[in-house]
Amino acid sequence: MKDVLLEINNLCVDYVSPNGVARAVNNVSLSIAPGETLGIAGESGCGKSTLAFAISRLHKAPALISEGEILYKDCDVLKMSDKELRDYRWNDVSIVFQSAMNSLNPVITIGEQLLDVIIAHKKISYKEAHQKAVELLSIVGIHGDRMASFPHQLSGGMRQRVVIAIALALEPKLIIMDEPTTALDVVVEREILNELYDLKTKFGFSILFISHDLSLMGEIADRIGVMYAGNLIEIGDAETVFGKPSHPYTQGLVASFPTIHGPKERLYGIPGNPVDLLRIPEGCNFQDRCTQCMAECKKHEPELIKLNDRHQAACHRL
Amino acid sequence: MSFLIRRLSFYFVAFFIAISFNFLLPRLMPGDPIDALFAAAQGKMDPAQMDAVREMYGFMDGSPFEQYIAYIKSVFTLDLGPSVLMFPINVTDVIGQALPWTMFLALGSLIVALIIGVSIGTYASYRRDGLFGQIVPPLLAFISNFPYIVTALLLFYFFGLQLELLPLAYTYDPALDPGFTMEFIGSVVKHAVLPMGSMIVVGIATWVFNMRNAMINVLGEDYVTMAEAKGLSSYRVMSRYAGRNAILPVATAIAMAIGFSFAGSIMTEVVFNYQGLGNILLKGIVARDYPLIQAILLILVSAVLTANFIADLLYVWLDPRISK
Amino acid sequence: MNKLIDSIGSEDMSVQESNKLVKKIKGVFSTIHAFFHGNPPAIIGGLLITMVLLGALMAPILASHNPNKRVARPHIAPNAEHILGTTRSGRDVYSQVLYGARKSLTVALSAGIIAMTLAVAVGVTSGYMGGKVDEWLNFLTNVFLVFPQLPLLIVLAAFLGQVGSLVITILLGVTSWPWGARVIRSQTMAIRNKEFIISAEVMGESKLRIILVEILPNLVSIVFGGFLGTVIYAMGSEAGLGILGLGDATEVSWGSMLYWAQTSSALYTGAWWEMIVPAAALAVTGGSLALINMSIDQVSNPKLKTGPHMKLWKKLKKEADQRRGLL
Repeated sequence: MKDVLLEINNLCVDYVSPNGVARAVNNVSLSIAPGETLGIAGESGCGKSTLAFAISRLHKAPALISEGEILYKDCDVLKMSDKELRDYRWNDVSIVFQSAMNSLNPVITIGEQLLDVIIAHKKISYKEAHQKAVELLSIVGIHGDRMASFPHQLSGGMRQRVVIAIALALEPKLIIMDEPTTALDVVVEREILNELYDLKTKFGFSILFISHDLSLMGEIADRIGVMYAGNLIEIGDAETVFGKPSHPYTQGLVASFPTIHGPKERLYGIPGNPVDLLRIPEGCNFQDRCTQCMAECKKHEPELIKLNDRHQAACHRL
Repeated sequence: MSFLIRRLSFYFVAFFIAISFNFLLPRLMPGDPIDALFAAAQGKMDPAQMDAVREMYGFMDGSPFEQYIAYIKSVFTLDLGPSVLMFPINVTDVIGQALPWTMFLALGSLIVALIIGVSIGTYASYRRDGLFGQIVPPLLAFISNFPYIVTALLLFYFFGLQLELLPLAYTYDPALDPGFTMEFIGSVVKHAVLPMGSMIVVGIATWVFNMRNAMINVLGEDYVTMAEAKGLSSYRVMSRYAGRNAILPVATAIAMAIGFSFAGSIMTEVVFNYQGLGNILLKGIVARDYPLIQAILLILVSAVLTANFIADLLYVWLDPRISK
Repeated sequence: MNKLIDSIGSEDMSVQESNKLVKKIKGVFSTIHAFFHGNPPAIIGGLLITMVLLGALMAPILASHNPNKRVARPHIAPNAEHILGTTRSGRDVYSQVLYGARKSLTVALSAGIIAMTLAVAVGVTSGYMGGKVDEWLNFLTNVFLVFPQLPLLIVLAAFLGQVGSLVITILLGVTSWPWGARVIRSQTMAIRNKEFIISAEVMGESKLRIILVEILPNLVSIVFGGFLGTVIYAMGSEAGLGILGLGDATEVSWGSMLYWAQTSSALYTGAWWEMIVPAAALAVTGGSLALINMSIDQVSNPKLKTGPHMKLWKKLKKEADQRRGLL
C-alpha cells in the first residue's frame, strides 16, 4: 500500500568552497506520508534548509547533491529531465520561503506572480487563470482587487498570505515551509498557523515544516526530525521527541525552552559553538558539546538506531 | 510626482549654476579676456565688432548685478552674440549646425552600446564558467578602461588608415546635399561607423560589466529561487524576475554615463574631424573665441541635464517602488 | 625576509614589540598573497602596472636618450638604436614614453589622492551626520556629478591659457571627487546603523574617534577601489586635455606626446609609432589598474568570484551524475 509520498534515501549535499568541500547534509534518510506534517528542527547551519531545497533540486553551484535519491511516487527527482523537473516543481511540491518580502518579485504585481505559475503549468485561458488567482487570494483572505498591487504596497502579514496563496495555486501534495513565521510577530504567527491548519484539512497536503523553534513544532507537527551538523540525529513522533528525547542534543534543545506554566526553573543551554563543516571531527559531530560523551563517540560516527517502530536516534549511548 | 519634481528643480538650479559660472568666468580670469581675444584676432576686428563682443559680455554698462540679469536674459532668448571665429555668424547658428551631430554621436553610441552590452551581460551572468565566465569579464575590464581617445586613435589608425575601409573625416560626404535621400543617409551612416564604433567598443564593455554584476547580485535573491521553484521557464526567470530587477542599478548608471558619453564624443570628434560641438570647441579655443566656448559649455550642460532627466523618467517607469 | 625581520627585532626593539610587528607584516603579506592567488586577472594586472611603475621610476636608468633633445633625424622607424622610433622633432620615443610615464602617473596619482581625500571627507561626513549637513553636501555632490566634467575642464583650461601639470592635477582632483563621495556616503550610512556604531556612541566615544576607528577601516576596500577608478579617469583626462593642446606641451607626458603626434599628422605620414606608443602606454596602464580594481570588487563581493573551486565542482558533479547513471 502506498503510504509514502516522498522518500529520501541517503542524501548527501556538498558545498564546494575555495577552502574545501563542506558536507551540509550527510547521509540523511526520511519519508513523508500523505497528509502528515513533518517538522525538521535544528540550529542555524545544521542543514535543514539545504535538505528541503534539495527536494525541489534547487541547489546551484557551488552546491552539489553528491549522493542519494529522492523518490516522489517512486520517481527519483534527481534523475528527472529538465522538462519532468519543471512539471514536478510546484505541481507536486511547492515552497513557502522564510521571508515573504524577499520571495516576492518587487517590480511586478502579485497578480502576475500568481498567474504566471498557473499559466506555466495548466493549459487554461488567461481569463480562467485570472479567476483562479482571485479565488486563491480569497481563500487566504485577500480581496481580488489586490491583484494589481505591488509587494511593497502590502503589509507583512498580507505578503505572507500571498505567498501561501501562490504555494496552494496548483494544489500540490507537499508544501515545504522554511521558517515561515520567523519573521512575523507571535500574533500574526498564530493567525497564519491556524489558517494553514484549516487549509491543510481542506486540501489534504503534507507539510515539511522547517524551523529552529522546537516548541512550535511540538504543537503542530505529527512527527519531528532533529538535525545537527548535517546529520539526522533523531526522528520520531512529536510527543516522543519533544516529551522524551533520546539524543543528548535534542535533550539540550528541549531543555532550552522555558515553559509558560509551571515553576520557574533554571534554563540550560547547550555549551560550545556549532561545528565548522570544513573541519568535522572524527566520530560523532556533537562530541565537543555533549555532556554524555564517551570514548566511543570520538572514534565512530553513530548511526540511527531503531528505538521502537516509530522512533530512531543516533547515539552510542542507546 | 514628488521624485520627478525634486529632480526637475534640481536641474534648474544646476543650470543656473552653469549660467553663473559662465558669467563669472571671464571676469575672474587673469587679464581682460577681451584683450586676449583681440590679440588673438590680431587686430582683424573693427571697432563695431569689438563693441558687439563687449556688449555680449555685458561689459558695457550697469552694475554687476544688472549685467548678470542681462546675461541671463540673453541666455534664455538664445541671443548669445556673434562668434569671433566665424564673424559675423551668430554663436547660436554655429552651434545649431553642430549640436545635432554631437547628440547623434553621443546618444546614438550610448543607446547601441546599452542594448548590446545589457544583452551580453545578461548572458554572461547565466554562464559563469568557461569563456564567458573566466575570460570575458577581465578582458572587458581591460578594454573598457582605455581612455576614449585611445580607442578612437586605434580604430582611426587600423580601420581608417591601414585598411582604408571607412572614411576618416566629416559627418557626411561634403559633396552631397543634406536631405532625406538614401544617398545622404547612407553617407551619414558610413561616416558615423568609426567614430561611433570607437565609443561603442568602450561602452559595450561598461554595460556588459554593469549588467553582469547586477545580475549576479540579483540571482542570489530569494525571489529568483522561488521563481525557479515554481517551475517557470528559465527564459522567464532570467528576464522577468532576474533581469527586470537587475536593470535598476543599470538604469541609475545611465545617468552618469550620459555625461561621460558627451565628454567622450568631444575626443572622438577631434580625432575623426567629425563636425560636432567638440570640433567647433577646439577651433574656438585655438581662436580664443570665448563667446563660442562659453555657449558650447552651456549647451553641453543643458544637453546633459535634459538627458539626465529622461534617465530619471526611465527609472521611475522601471521601479514601481518610487513614489512618482 | 623573515630572517631580516627577526634580526631587526633582536637588536633594537623589545621582544614583544618586534613580535607584534612581525605578525602585522606577515598579516599584510598573507592578505596580498590571498588576493593574487588563483586570480589570473589580478596577477596580469599587477604585473603590467608594476612594469609601468618601474619604467617610470627608473626612467633615468632605462632611457636610451634625453627625451627633450633632438637626437636623430625625424620620424625614423623603430630600429636597434631607437627601439620605438623618433618623433617629428627627432626625439627618441622610447625615452619619451618612459619619462612621460613619470609625469602622467604623477598627475593621475596626485589627482586621485586629492579627489579621494575630498570624497572621503564629504562622503563620511554626509553619511554619518545625516540631516541638514547631509542634505547640503548631497546637493553639492549631485551638482558636481551632473556637470559634464571634461567640457568643464576644457573651458577652464582654455580660459587659463596653457596650463602646467600642477594646475591640471588640482583641477582634476577638484572635479572628480563626487563619484567616490556618493559611494562612500551610502556605505557609511549602511555601517552607521550597525550596532557596533550605536554602542560606541552610547559609550560616549567622540564622533571623530568613531569615524576614524570604527567607520574608516570598513571603507578601505571601497576607498581604494575608488582611488584606482579616479586614477584611471584622471589619466584619460590628462591625455584628453593634452591632445587638445590644453596641457603643457613643453613637458614630456603621454598627453603632450599625443599632442605633438597629432599636430605632426603622425598617423597620416606613416609614422605610427609617435602616436600609437603613448596611446598603448595609456591603454595598458588604464587596463591593468582596471583589472586590479575588478579583483578588489571581487574581494568585497565574493559572489562575483569565478574561482578554481568551480573546476572542482564540475568534476564532482560529473562523478555524481555518472553514479546516478545520467551520463
